[in-house]
Amino acid sequence: MKHKDCIYYLPVDAFKGICKRDKSNINADDDACENFKLAPRCEYCSNFELTAENMGICMKKYDAYPQMNASTCAEFHLN
Amino acid sequence: MLIDPNFIIMSKSNETLQCPTTNYYGSLPKNVDKKREVNKKPTNRVEKIRNRYFETKSSASIEFPYWYTRKWEEKEGEVSIVRRAEALRSGFEHLTPSIFPGELLVMGKANYLRGSYPMPWLSEAFFLAKEDEMYKEALEAGKVSADEVTTMGQGGGNVTKSIGNVMSIAGKFGMRKEEMPMLLKIAKKWYNKSVDDIGHKYEQMVPGYNTKEEIMRAVICMFDSGYTLPQGREVMNYYYPLQYGIKGIIDICITKIDSSAGYPDMDRIYFYKSVETVLYGIQKWIINHANEARFMADLEDDKKQTDEYIEIANRLDWISNNPPRDFRDALQLIWIFHISVLNEDAISGLSPGRLGQVLYPFWKKDMDEGKLTRESSIELLECMRMKFTEIDCFASMGVVGGVLSGNTFNNLCIGGLNKDDESAANDLEMHILESSMTCDTPQPTLSLLYDEKLPEEFLLKGIETTKIGTGYPAWVNNRVAIEFLLENFRKEGMQLEEARAWSIGGCLETSAGSWMPLEFNGETHYIPGGSAPATSVGVHFISLPKVLEAVLYNGIDKRTGRMVYPPHNKKLTSYDELWQVFKDYFSLTVEVLTLTNNIQHDIWGKVSPSIVNSMLKPDCLDVGKDISNKGCRYNRTFNVEICGGVNLANSLASLKKNVYLENNFSIDKLKEAIDANFGYLTAQEIGSYSLIEQKKKDTYEDWLKIHTQCLDAPKYGNDDSFVDNIFRDWQHWFSSMCENYKSLYDEPMYSCQISVSTHAPMGAVTLATPDGRLSGTTFSDGSVSAYPGTDRNGPYALFNSATCYNHALSQNSQLNMKIHPSVVSGREGSKKFLEMIKAYLRKGAFHAQFNIVDSRMLKDAQNNPEKYRGLMVRVAGFTQYWVELGKQIQDEVIARTEYEEI
Repeated sequence: MKHKDCIYYLPVDAFKGICKRDKSNINADDDACENFKLAPRCEYCSNFELTAENMGICMKKYDAYPQMNASTCAEFHLN
Repeated sequence: MLIDPNFIIMSKSNETLQCPTTNYYGSLPKNVDKKREVNKKPTNRVEKIRNRYFETKSSASIEFPYWYTRKWEEKEGEVSIVRRAEALRSGFEHLTPSIFPGELLVMGKANYLRGSYPMPWLSEAFFLAKEDEMYKEALEAGKVSADEVTTMGQGGGNVTKSIGNVMSIAGKFGMRKEEMPMLLKIAKKWYNKSVDDIGHKYEQMVPGYNTKEEIMRAVICMFDSGYTLPQGREVMNYYYPLQYGIKGIIDICITKIDSSAGYPDMDRIYFYKSVETVLYGIQKWIINHANEARFMADLEDDKKQTDEYIEIANRLDWISNNPPRDFRDALQLIWIFHISVLNEDAISGLSPGRLGQVLYPFWKKDMDEGKLTRESSIELLECMRMKFTEIDCFASMGVVGGVLSGNTFNNLCIGGLNKDDESAANDLEMHILESSMTCDTPQPTLSLLYDEKLPEEFLLKGIETTKIGTGYPAWVNNRVAIEFLLENFRKEGMQLEEARAWSIGGCLETSAGSWMPLEFNGETHYIPGGSAPATSVGVHFISLPKVLEAVLYNGIDKRTGRMVYPPHNKKLTSYDELWQVFKDYFSLTVEVLTLTNNIQHDIWGKVSPSIVNSMLKPDCLDVGKDISNKGCRYNRTFNVEICGGVNLANSLASLKKNVYLENNFSIDKLKEAIDANFGYLTAQEIGSYSLIEQKKKDTYEDWLKIHTQCLDAPKYGNDDSFVDNIFRDWQHWFSSMCENYKSLYDEPMYSCQISVSTHAPMGAVTLATPDGRLSGTTFSDGSVSAYPGTDRNGPYALFNSATCYNHALSQNSQLNMKIHPSVVSGREGSKKFLEMIKAYLRKGAFHAQFNIVDSRMLKDAQNNPEKYRGLMVRVAGFTQYWVELGKQIQDEVIARTEYEEI
């Protein structure tokens, strides 16, 4: 898993962010640390089905993509 | 054009000295011994925030467009404006909240620090045109290396090329590759449904549409306004949220719906329902951030930071419903509404207006009660500066680079007069000036609304700020603006008292305002706010030298070889004949662009109407109409913008003298010389865009005589009546002819004269001109700035030239000057500087702004951009980081005449 997949990752820009726990500057695509905790994303949701690389479907009717943030989605249910 | 490292010219000498000042963040070239006179720093907190900003890249995400589009499709069949409101609500509700450590003011347009997003419902063509290229890149997954990211420092926050898993879009924005397939899918959903596509379908019905297309292809006009930046260049009005709070506005909507349902003019219901709907989305957006602040607090070890997060959360909870209780509530609330408007459209130039007067009642109460101190007040204002500086506007490269130079033009005005004709300057504005020195960032830029009634202490504080070298405040004439407004808005009921509530929208667009009765702390305070929709919509940037070029070449664009205008087939045997053909071509340009842009804006109002901004603007909420249905109090806001006016005047003067009065050469001979670029290489060939750095070809002596005669012809800026009379004739005719054309809102147009950054790309496609300017070089900036190096008689001669006509005829005029720091140093220098500005404004000028900088430093910064991350310059109505400017504009700023004596 990468930093960008962690619930403690605060993105500053598309490249990098800040760890919410220790305030360190981290790259989005570097490997996560031992404190990693999965961030809610479409790919981990029971309503999501992968249909192609980087593409999927939500609730069997909406286009969606796996890396989409889902922290604000009322329909998110961890798979 | 954005900075490309390949364009950087290496200096002959790379020797530099460490900059002894803090604010330039770089080095000084050798022999630049003048230290910056005033060195101030923000608080440690804001210094950290600013350093974080310096390390941040502009980034785009598709969260908002995803949820917007998803809801839009789901609501098919709903009344159009309500459907859009539902889509906006969904976008706001689903934005991932981000709270950055140390912030006192929170929330941004998107979850990244410099976040923004595409709006394919306005235009999707850019993404579809690039589809293959983007897909290909997106499939090539890579690993981001910290080293590679570090190399992105040149060019500031611009992501100029794709690296690893981040793709560059429009030469500025970085977007995660995993988002690209969805972006393209969303873009396809808007094919034939966007404002761009539907507008295009209908604008083709305009007679003369083909001419419009040729005009755009020749870059005689810079861009369409209806789908690129449909709002902006206007002044925010924060009254309703400050007076009623969000819950209060929702209650107003519910009451209005109850009293409108079933009655005639029922469109009101849909507007009120739309406002209510979007406000629910904004409430959820705020509450999501409050929850995020609590999440951050739970992870925090530091007690002070924990308390700050909790305070932020509680404050957000409060203002998600209620009117503000204090200054910080008010500042946070107006910021939220500012970015709420920015999130509903692609917007540049959304100005906070006279914010120091809007917030003064809250600030004064807190200061009186000891809740605020001078230090805490200035720190909050520094935080506000950082939030405004973080704003990015997502648009195509031509718009972001070629027009905006990456700037967003959030103009904060200070000074002016109050409702009762007294000085409106206050102590909070003194703090605003101070914070703009301690935290010198591009946004918000400042404009000082100069009036003879303003206190000297306030004016000298403005001078102190201008001298720091950041280009703000610009100095703007209050009386000239009021004269312009009364002339243009009297028909809609504007009286003198209300004209005083004006402010600058965008970089320099005079905008109508109103006094709003804010009830706070047991008193009624009349606060100013914008009461008109976007200005600088309509006809955007007509290149005057390019029109003249078409006159000389019988309607043909020589660069492309295409016929733009109907051939005039005249021999141009007299100056009057040439001038008449110019007027005919220019009029045709304005006519077809007015009609096509009216259609684009009509479609914008039907497909993508403004809801948040409409709600804020008086009197939309009262009458139940959005901006596109003339709900605003004042609606005469469409204008005709031009670029290159001084080059036109200089060229006409050269033609008049050399061809028609003295017969030095014929028109045909002149055209041969222009074709040969007077024996020089083109700007593109040598990669430099200012006249002073051009290179001769071997054949230059063949054209030397004619070029010299062109250069020696009278030049604007020297108090020379020969050319100044030509300039005045142009000004009078231009302002008068605009009234022949009517906007979508059935109001006459008016003239607007700002170049923004268009003088660079428009110069780049224009051949050499009869004034001796070479092919591809940048035009003169602004509207009354002299062409670089041609104003040789000192500033007062320039002022006489600039004021040879009545500036109140136009929405603005724009004068940029570059002054060496030594000229204005010390208190005596300040007084001398102030007297010079007063002298200019007293002659009836509208505007002046200054770069107080040594040109050698700019040259050094061009050669060593990595050493100048914080260096800012004034371009044309805005201040921008040097490293985020395109080379064309950098060359132009370096070439400007530098006054070493006033």
